[in-house]
Amino acid sequence: MTGIHSNGSEGKVLGEVLGLRDSIGEIQAAIADFEVGKRLNVAIIAEPLGGKTTLLNEIEKLNLSRVTKITFSKIVRDKKEISLPEDTKRVVLLDNCQFLYMRRSGGFEVFYEFLHMISSQNSIFITTWNTYAWKYLNEVFRLEKYFPVQVFIPALEKEDLKDLILGRYEEGEIIFDSGNKVKEKALIYIEDYPLELASLGRKVYIPVLKINISYLKKRLLNEKEKEREEEKETAEDRVFGEIYRESKGNPGIALRIWELEIDYPHIEPEGVRHFSYDIELEQEEAFVLELILSYQGLRKSEIVDIVGSMLRTDEILFQLLNQELIFEHENGSIRVRPEALRSVIAYLEKLRLVW
Amino acid sequence: MVNGEGAVETGREQLLESIRSIEMQTLIDMVLILFAAYILGRIVTIALSKFSEKMSRSGSVKVKMIIPAIKFGIYIIAFFYILREIFSMFGPELFLLTGLVGAAIGFGVKDLFADFVGGVVVTFERPYQVGDKITIGNYYGEVTDIGLRATKLVTPDDDTVTVPNSLIFSEAVASGNYGESEMMVVIDLYIASESDVETAMKIFREVVVSSRYVYISRSSPITLLHKALPFYTRLRARTYVNDLRDEFEFESDVHTRAWIEFQKNGIRAPQLHILSIPPIEEERESSDTNQRNVRLNRRNRGDSEFDTGSQRNSEL
Repeated sequence: MTGIHSNGSEGKVLGEVLGLRDSIGEIQAAIADFEVGKRLNVAIIAEPLGGKTTLLNEIEKLNLSRVTKITFSKIVRDKKEISLPEDTKRVVLLDNCQFLYMRRSGGFEVFYEFLHMISSQNSIFITTWNTYAWKYLNEVFRLEKYFPVQVFIPALEKEDLKDLILGRYEEGEIIFDSGNKVKEKALIYIEDYPLELASLGRKVYIPVLKINISYLKKRLLNEKEKEREEEKETAEDRVFGEIYRESKGNPGIALRIWELEIDYPHIEPEGVRHFSYDIELEQEEAFVLELILSYQGLRKSEIVDIVGSMLRTDEILFQLLNQELIFEHENGSIRVRPEALRSVIAYLEKLRLVW
Repeated sequence: MVNGEGAVETGREQLLESIRSIEMQTLIDMVLILFAAYILGRIVTIALSKFSEKMSRSGSVKVKMIIPAIKFGIYIIAFFYILREIFSMFGPELFLLTGLVGAAIGFGVKDLFADFVGGVVVTFERPYQVGDKITIGNYYGEVTDIGLRATKLVTPDDDTVTVPNSLIFSEAVASGNYGESEMMVVIDLYIASESDVETAMKIFREVVVSSRYVYISRSSPITLLHKALPFYTRLRARTYVNDLRDEFEFESDVHTRAWIEFQKNGIRAPQLHILSIPPIEEERESSDTNQRNVRLNRRNRGDSEFDTGSQRNSEL
């Protein structure tokens, strides 16, 4: 995940974390409390591609001398994999803790060991969780009792998303084309607003009537010259407005949409598509989709272990690939397509497979 | 007295005169109004049901809840128009007509009338809603339609049962979910008494929580119970299925996966107790023996004490 500036943009400092300042403050406060004897484990919770690893990396940087970090990238099957080495520091960072259980009978042994470990060790555990895995485990095991401090990563603001994306380029490198449709802001205009309706199980676009307040003010104040300058919404603003509405502030989705729509170095607002999927799945296919969403990425062998049949797994993955809901990541894991994420969540909420 | 009889006679004649004066067109209008109300009710039911199918379970229940009320409204409007016609036709003779109608209800269509009243109660008091799984009388199933006269249930065997609405006055109604999407399912597993109960409970819990049909929340928790009985141990899970239509699939999923795990861990199903019920093989053998004894006795009836004893045995 890239939630940190890799390059300066509009005077921002290299490495500054976008939109995570409050979350970092909360976690640093928990670490400071631990130093004075108050041990409150921390759970960082975010939806897929929401920036939890970015936040954990930042915490690691800030506490470099006193942390031990472990990252899980696949389902942990052996208790030894979570046992801490002897030279473990007092602050333990565990990334992707959703990989500590397998949703089948006999698949919770590592998780029981993990719960025992965080209760018995004299260290503070700062962990990251996928939102849907967290909700499931919290209902089953009352996980919140083990993690009194829960940090839910907020969605990025539009300006932060813009900085995040443009931070990867030199100033002026990207050309925002407005095409032939130079859009002048009218007093009243209609804008399509994406809405995930769990009751319908899909993402829909609702035309929303908007009143241009600033335009109205200017009209009333008779600032005509200034108005002509400002009433034209720039193509750049419109591109990022579209991306923000599509991604709902999720940095991973925003980056994916940007990558899909840019025709380097050109991009135009009309080119930013609306992503809405009509999903029709059988119960078992929807269940596997829910597993992929909750784990953020599952290998085929792991899905076979949960489903219990190689043949059935192949059929299910074929269906999910056919409907363009998943893709195979370069590390071999199967993931939900970022642009399909909102539709997938709405569909699974409709089926009540995610709570 | 004579005057009274005369008045009744006059009234009767006036009523008959009024009935004779009814135009065919008026009667056709009344029938058409009823027919239109029925058709409109069906259209509303089908349209809203189709719409609700595209929604989540909770959304679907909310949409289906309003179907009986809309149908009731349509019929009320239809009856209002019909009654208005009747009032305008009969005027002062109406009390005689109501007497006739009262007698008809009393003797002939009282059950139908009770069903209509039951329909009104079901619509407004809502002891159950469309989409609920209910037990009424001897039937259990999902409510698919609430009409003015009857409620339709689809049983787990896919039989459609039409239950008269008046049954709610005489029978208790149990609704498994009462408008919610999730519903409690009680799953029992029986294991041999000598089995490791702790392991069995752990497996049972993991099987339930990992099922794709389960729904868990603060208000819908999982409860596991263990009861030791003389010849076996009962494990019971009170848990919630995320969509009540998957009640039996959920139960089946838990049973299948639990027994696979039980077998891996040496947990056995209870055996028939050797003292209480003889094994089938022995029973068959003894039965054959008895039959042989009967034949023997028939051949040598009354020959010896031993044979008499054998006969007694066979009678036993």
